[in-house]
Amino acid sequence: MKQIVVHQEKCTACRDCELACSFEHTGRFVPALSRIRVNDFYEEQFYLPMTCVHCADAPCATVCPTVAIQRQLDGQILVMEERCIGCKMCLLACPFGVMGFQPDEGVAQNCDLCGGDPQCVAFCVPKALEYADVETDATARQKMYAATVRQSLLVGH
Amino acid sequence: MIGKYVIIGNSAAALAATGSIRKYDHDGSMLLLNRETGPAYSRVALPYYVSGELTLEQLLIRQRADYATTDVELVENANVVRIDADGRQVELADGRRVGYEKLLIATGSVCAVPPIRGLETITPHYLWTLEDAKRMRTAAERARTAVVIGGGFIGMLIAEALRKLGIRLTIVEMAPQLLPQLLDAEGGALFLDAVKDEGVTVRLKSVVEAVAKVEGQTEVTLRGGETVAADMVAVAAGVRPDVSVVANGPCAINKGVLVNEHLETSCPGVYAAGDVAEVKDFLSADRTIHAIWPVAVDQGVVAGANMAGKRLAYPGSLGMNVVELFKLTLAEVGRFRESATDDVKLLGGSGSALYRKVVVDREGRLAGAMYLGDPNGVAEMGVLHGMIKRRAYWRELAQHRQARISYAYGIYAAARGV
Repeated sequence: MKQIVVHQEKCTACRDCELACSFEHTGRFVPALSRIRVNDFYEEQFYLPMTCVHCADAPCATVCPTVAIQRQLDGQILVMEERCIGCKMCLLACPFGVMGFQPDEGVAQNCDLCGGDPQCVAFCVPKALEYADVETDATARQKMYAATVRQSLLVGH
Repeated sequence: MIGKYVIIGNSAAALAATGSIRKYDHDGSMLLLNRETGPAYSRVALPYYVSGELTLEQLLIRQRADYATTDVELVENANVVRIDADGRQVELADGRRVGYEKLLIATGSVCAVPPIRGLETITPHYLWTLEDAKRMRTAAERARTAVVIGGGFIGMLIAEALRKLGIRLTIVEMAPQLLPQLLDAEGGALFLDAVKDEGVTVRLKSVVEAVAKVEGQTEVTLRGGETVAADMVAVAAGVRPDVSVVANGPCAINKGVLVNEHLETSCPGVYAAGDVAEVKDFLSADRTIHAIWPVAVDQGVVAGANMAGKRLAYPGSLGMNVVELFKLTLAEVGRFRESATDDVKLLGGSGSALYRKVVVDREGRLAGAMYLGDPNGVAEMGVLHGMIKRRAYWRELAQHRQARISYAYGIYAAARGV
């Protein structure tokens, strides 16, 4: 499936992705409402945008007590807002820390790929984000972040 | 009736097991023996039904058609009274017998009934089954005041639901703090403030001695003689494993049904999963029961696989919980109350957190964490949860001046060979 691929070494922590995501989903520029988050370690000069990787063996979907998190036919993991009771078990289950919570609606939220036209990618000036096909193999996908980091360390340090 | 796989239960563990069995055995016949009627509902969501935020329809996590889709036969009003392990069959209260090759006990928990004088003379409200929730909702529509006996997890969920309906509340808790299973003393104190801010009366270190009907109300008498009158009384004195199906044998029980690492009981071919199973603790390896939804799901998956011939070992049960109550989100994972040999990394309040704490064992590995604050802060508890599960070290987060709880930093550290 196509999803957000991160080229960590290109990220400058400008956070335009967070603004684009927030605006696309809420009509407001509020970074806290973004479904993609730039992790910044300024001392190390290390920046890593993270968002949902739609795990093949998604712990968020497994723990959801109301079956509100379901895999779509294209492989995407989506929160069905009308089924979500806001219990936050999925936030507690996500080892990447990328499941979010929309406080106004009281529901969990993850990256919905903007229906196929992800705005974080569209507004990423340094092209650190890409919307591309990734391996569907679960392990490969879940190791994506680790791999990009190792690669950038080899290149950059 | 006969099924290759027979499952006693119809909730988290039972449903997870059906999925897991189907993954490894595409056509073996499967029977779910449900003591209640109707398809599965989410117990976790019941308080939201009481408060009127969800409809009955929204509580359902399976439709009748879903069972047929995975070729599972749902047998309703099936009250198992006995297991005949030698004859490989179970006996129902109405005399029916169901034969099995592999059996799963996933009966869950039942509410504990506290020793309170006169409890049988009133109609106390519990909140465990869908019928309980319907009764509570009906009573709550007419009530203006309520006493909630028990300030634990379920007691506080009941309190929150009733408060949303505008009912004036008194919570009575034996322990010196609210939510003793979920919060340490300091967290409990912060939470108590949030509850009191909503105008709720809280009586800690208080024991209910007696209840009685007095002039259309219920009078609750506390030890010491003080009384509180209310329109309705809810009881939330904890839950205990429902071992009734094996109370007189044949499987070995302690508090719950004892199982090995494949979640098989002392009877060959009989497995147990969920609240009813007494399993190994992930951290201490002691026997434990974490009566929570995600643990039940995990165990259902493992038990189902083993039943279908796929040998899977259960890594042990890790306690975790999260709940939003009285405008505060609370979460805990693992051993959040430190033992004598643990080190506490108290990260205090910052950003979205009112209070957070990380417990590290003597080897420097993460063992537990607790959080109070805004909902979004639970995401970092997810990261800690993942790290505890892979027995990660605190130094993976704390290499630099300030510890940052971030998956990103964890892999940065790993890549650097920290």
